[in-house]
Amino acid sequence: MTFGEKQTDPTSPMHWRGDMQADYFYPSGVAGDKFFKHLMQKDSFLATKCNKCNKVLFPPRLYCEDCFEEIPEINWIEVPCTGTVRLFTVATLNAHNEKMQSPKVVALIDIDQTDGALLGIIKSNDITKDFLGRKVKAVLRPKEKREGTLKDILHFEEI
Amino acid sequence: MEERKKDWPPYAPGTYVRESDISEKRITYTWWEPEVQYSWSLGPAMSKFLQGLKAGKILGIHCKRCKRVIVPPRMFCEYCYGPTDEWIELPDTGIIETFSISYLDPDARRIEEPILVGVVDLDGTPPHHGFMHYFGEMSKDEIKIGMKVKAVWKPENEREGSITDIKYFKPL
Repeated sequence: MTFGEKQTDPTSPMHWRGDMQADYFYPSGVAGDKFFKHLMQKDSFLATKCNKCNKVLFPPRLYCEDCFEEIPEINWIEVPCTGTVRLFTVATLNAHNEKMQSPKVVALIDIDQTDGALLGIIKSNDITKDFLGRKVKAVLRPKEKREGTLKDILHFEEI
Repeated sequence: MEERKKDWPPYAPGTYVRESDISEKRITYTWWEPEVQYSWSLGPAMSKFLQGLKAGKILGIHCKRCKRVIVPPRMFCEYCYGPTDEWIELPDTGIIETFSISYLDPDARRIEEPILVGVVDLDGTPPHHGFMHYFGEMSKDEIKIGMKVKAVWKPENEREGSITDIKYFKPL
């Protein structure tokens, strides 16, 4: 077919399909490594406290995000894996834009005794209620199955 | 993981991660394989070219103003910007325009037996005008620029409308 000819067969234009291998590898870093290794053995979180501005950094950092102060080793503290819901949304579509059978409550949870927060899924029997400000607790994987990623936190549930 | 050195300058010295740290699970990490799929719309000219390959033919397209044959074909001539005029079936012979002896496979792994790749200048097209393909049935010492080559096709039932329907070019 040249430019002057008309295309009459709708199946003649072709598509070339393929997939790209794009593996993603993300090491946790020095502070993240310590956090996840702690999480693999204990049922609590780690956080770091800044000497200068008294901010409790969660997830733990080696340097303060606000004043760039280095955090000394003794300022690592253990915090419980409970928190308060700051915001939430109810997701009805999954990552492929398909309707899910059971909607999920995705929430930003302020972790107790820290100034940081964590994104998580809240499991509840009644997902139509208002979760704002409610106290929740992280449900962790059984200790022998933990692998040192954020997936070790299965979900959150109301206390 | 190596300990951070305390006597280093006040900037963050960084922490080295070795391959053994990952394979022996001394560090924690996240590994994810996203599904990245693409669908490239080939357009009328390239579609007809690939359908021609499926039928065992190499199709070119002629530009009357520039008096040249374009392969792989285009709907527009990239020299005069005019629409191209006429389809032409080309022979599956040509000469080696340029070549490379590659000791890396398509995934950049080292290999013992090199892959021969290069540009084939098909007969019936203007000089220095061709497309890339593999060369076979010749060693890395035999291959040279200007060598006459002929296409080796896949059996007809295995062809799928792809440039790899030609397996490689062999010496003529």
